[in-house]
Amino acid sequence: MGADFGVQLLQTILFGVMLGGVYALAAMGLALLFGVANLVNFAHGEYIMLAMYMAFVFSVTIFQDPVLTPLFNIPLFFAIGVITYLGIFKRLIKAPPLSQIAATVGVLVLLRNLALAIWAAEPKAPPYTVFATSFSIGPIIVPLDKLLAMAVSFVTLFLLNLFLERTRLGVAMRASADDVEAVSLMGVDTNRLFLLTTGISLALVGLSGSLIMTYQAVTPTSGLLFGLLTWAIVALAGLGTVKGILIASIIFGLADSLASGLWDPRGREIVLYGLFILILWVRPKGLFGRR
Amino acid sequence: MKTYSALGAAIALAAVPFLVGLNEYYLFLVTLILLYTTIVVAWQLIGGYGGQLDLGAGAYHGLGAVVTGFLMVNYGVSGWVGLLVSGAAAAGVAFLIGYPSFRLGLKEVWYALSSLALVLILQKIFLLWTDVAGPLERYIPYAEFDPVFMRAGTKIFYYYITAALLASTFLIVSRIRRSKTGLYLISIRENEEAAEMLGVDVRRYKLQALMIYSFIAAVTGGIYASMVGFYHPTLFDSWISIQTATLAIVGGLGHLLGPPIVSIILLTVQEYLRITLGAVIIGLHQVIFGIILVVIIMFKPDGLGPLIDSLARRFPASVRR
Repeated sequence: MGADFGVQLLQTILFGVMLGGVYALAAMGLALLFGVANLVNFAHGEYIMLAMYMAFVFSVTIFQDPVLTPLFNIPLFFAIGVITYLGIFKRLIKAPPLSQIAATVGVLVLLRNLALAIWAAEPKAPPYTVFATSFSIGPIIVPLDKLLAMAVSFVTLFLLNLFLERTRLGVAMRASADDVEAVSLMGVDTNRLFLLTTGISLALVGLSGSLIMTYQAVTPTSGLLFGLLTWAIVALAGLGTVKGILIASIIFGLADSLASGLWDPRGREIVLYGLFILILWVRPKGLFGRR
Repeated sequence: MKTYSALGAAIALAAVPFLVGLNEYYLFLVTLILLYTTIVVAWQLIGGYGGQLDLGAGAYHGLGAVVTGFLMVNYGVSGWVGLLVSGAAAAGVAFLIGYPSFRLGLKEVWYALSSLALVLILQKIFLLWTDVAGPLERYIPYAEFDPVFMRAGTKIFYYYITAALLASTFLIVSRIRRSKTGLYLISIRENEEAAEMLGVDVRRYKLQALMIYSFIAAVTGGIYASMVGFYHPTLFDSWISIQTATLAIVGGLGHLLGPPIVSIILLTVQEYLRITLGAVIIGLHQVIFGIILVVIIMFKPDGLGPLIDSLARRFPASVRR
């Protein structure tokens, strides 16, 4: 009995860490846009939902295997980001937070119901990938596809970190997070900077949509779940660093996995959002954040 | 002159059931439109005057439905008592969540998100709490016409209850707006730090606004449950939160006439689109609704309130902003 519980606990923790690794990518897109462009995107979760649907569409039409869907999802969502910026976000950059929230809530309504109109309310899941096998370490089972998803997420975050630290554009982005006006005075074209930031933010969302599909099916209301979850991660991490986002994501991945595994899968949202509200009360500035 | 426009509005509200030919289905729709409009008007207290973008309407509406329904189903308590009890329960929850939030200075996007999280937390709590709600719908005992129990077979009964609620909510909100509390709330919205420095008890007034609004939102939930005859955890609906806040913003934050007029018009358009397009493709009417919202907010960031006010000013019986 005791040993069984120990194995189950270890298994649940492993799942939580792998899940958190995937959440990190989804949250990074939000943190980037909020940090660099100071833009509140309330529809972030709906973009994740859309990315999940596109991963589903590409896997049943062109690729037959969900592993290859990021090849299409990343450029597609970069393009969607550029279009969204030019069409909507550009006008919102200097607007007060209330207008930003209101306009992006409009986008949320639009995307959620577009998904409902196209794919209806039934959950959609991609076919199994060739990597949908598992191996075991002692009594612990390690699913290969989920391990792979985490690895892809970690590599991407590592590359993103290098980009932010080493390239001119990345440095401009980090500087903009600290002080937009100074960056603008130094001769950086902030309009182009924010355009690229939105593009990169949604490219990350495109990839994360493919990866999340290894865990769960998508419905039009998935956007709300992932929207709140990624905001919760950003609240815990603050807007400081990629590392902060990663740690916060793993904490939420663990909370998610432990709630579903040891209590009741229907109770996971109580735990996740309860944790979110507590974080907002206790640490309004985030654990690792500067703001 | 003002009494004439009030009288006109009252006659118009009273005449609607006859304009839709006493058709039960249309009566149901117009009652729904007035219920949601009532929440929008009440939301002005916390959003329009207090400046807090609250997305908790679904939580309070759901609480009203579940508490009123539970009392009617399990104890045979009259719906009228249920409305008061559920309103008090919602105001209590609002206090529990609002007190720490305002004390710790939760604002803007973080306040909006925490209030949205509340809707989903309560929904799942009542889904798991099978003694009170649970995954199955609970049906309220049917009565052909029992005004004391607040249950009737015809929707016209609920229509007039809702119309009275909307009218009194409008009066309460306009009264508060002209009171000291209203002025304090507006000063908080315009500049919270300055208001606090001048000695306005920011937390107290925000909390008062939140509690009155949540009470009214719960009453709409109780009426809804009694009208449809059942309650279920999905009545903790995040869509109501989003709809309420967007309609209030499109109507014009802090405007008295804009939000109810815009709500009634846009909700009617939405229901019309649902009947005509929703049958063809589910969700299509909401897509169009979403486009309308984005376009209005993009091009009229202050909403349609100023426009409606200037139109109203052209008539002798004007209501000023």
